[in-house]
Amino acid sequence: MQFLAPNTVDKALEMLSERGDDLRILAGGTDVMIQRMTGQLPRCESLLYIGGIDELRGVGRLDGIIRIGALTTHRDLMTDPIIAAHLPSFAEAAATVGGWQTQAVGTLGGNLCNASPAADLAPPVLAADAVMVVSGVDGPSRIPVDHFFLDRRRTALPAGQILLGIEVPVPPATTWESYLKVGRRTAMEVALVGLAARFSMVGKRVETARLGVCSVSPTPLRLPHAESVLVGSTLDENAVAIAAQRSMEMIDPIDDQRATASYRRMLVGRLIRKAARLARHSLGIQ
Amino acid sequence: MTQRLALQVNGIPRTVDVPGDEVLLDTLRDRLHLTGTKRGCDEGECGACTVIVDGAPVHSCIFPALAAQGAQVRTVESLAGPEKELSTLQRAFVDQAAVQCGFCTPGFLMTLTALLESDSDPSDREVDEAIAGNICRCTGYSAIRAAVRSVVREGGP
Repeated sequence: MQFLAPNTVDKALEMLSERGDDLRILAGGTDVMIQRMTGQLPRCESLLYIGGIDELRGVGRLDGIIRIGALTTHRDLMTDPIIAAHLPSFAEAAATVGGWQTQAVGTLGGNLCNASPAADLAPPVLAADAVMVVSGVDGPSRIPVDHFFLDRRRTALPAGQILLGIEVPVPPATTWESYLKVGRRTAMEVALVGLAARFSMVGKRVETARLGVCSVSPTPLRLPHAESVLVGSTLDENAVAIAAQRSMEMIDPIDDQRATASYRRMLVGRLIRKAARLARHSLGIQ
Repeated sequence: MTQRLALQVNGIPRTVDVPGDEVLLDTLRDRLHLTGTKRGCDEGECGACTVIVDGAPVHSCIFPALAAQGAQVRTVESLAGPEKELSTLQRAFVDQAAVQCGFCTPGFLMTLTALLESDSDPSDREVDEAIAGNICRCTGYSAIRAAVRSVVREGGP
């Protein structure tokens, strides 16, 4: 098996267009290398290692848009000042992925493109209305994140293209957001349920609400029917109870060795209540 | 088919030919004969295989060897001095009885060396978070924490 390690996006795309189906893209490799060893990878001739493309790593802010390179590591997200100021749920989610060794190597782009139902970065990225910037040899294009996850381990990333990064509008100053995760322990654990909640307020009322979840369906997803109940509310008990109820109806969790479907369903409702409680407290709503 | 890998291991330039999908753990153990790094779970969960690549601890059992092209890699063999005198952290592990079967120890030492080199006075919580990816099934973690605290008191790893 050949290991191709281009150091620019252009070179990587050239290799992809020439070798296409023979190549498996990997960034940090924390998922791909395990899939390779356990025989879960489709047969491929070569690994296309993009982890050495420095231009795809880092966080920047320009004209009200935060750009996060696909190769930004979980550790980078946990320590970046722009993320801490504007997208704290990204840092919170990154901190729940594996241990330091995984966080130092695993990337945002890898977590999203691998498209595990349990991808921890997916809920905050969904709740942030992010746009995925992808590119092939013909140049970049954009895919809204709510169209990105198609099925378990399947995304809308076209063949022959790579994810360059994501773009997120800087949220209004009156925004509260957080990532809440339930697992059997806090580190090194796949989410039983993960919830990213984001509320942008006008006064004491919610102007926009976003709820992104993972581990409750074949793909991470938003819960628009639950979000809409919260818009205009003060995150009061009634609205939150209805949102929690609706969220439980919108998901399709499975029974597995980690938890039962009914437990996961219950957890989603509980996490929405918890998020609302934390938000009210943090925003000073009584 | 093999590919040429050039890197620094414990400060020494090394060149080896490796298959494209080899992991760093195999290169270190089987080609460079640095067997201090241990294969535990072999799937990036237990931390026994932790080595430091360009300042960051990584699971060498799932780290592609060729991703370390040009990198500075440090293994547990680098910790002791030229006369085999133990590092402060290694000595503290011995003094605090933070070692029982010892299989996880090289991984803990490398993660904690990376931590102490980036933060000379970590809180207990920061120590716990740093070693969340290292699993010990003998001693538990109290003695390991005590070892770190004693190193902090003595001023570094």
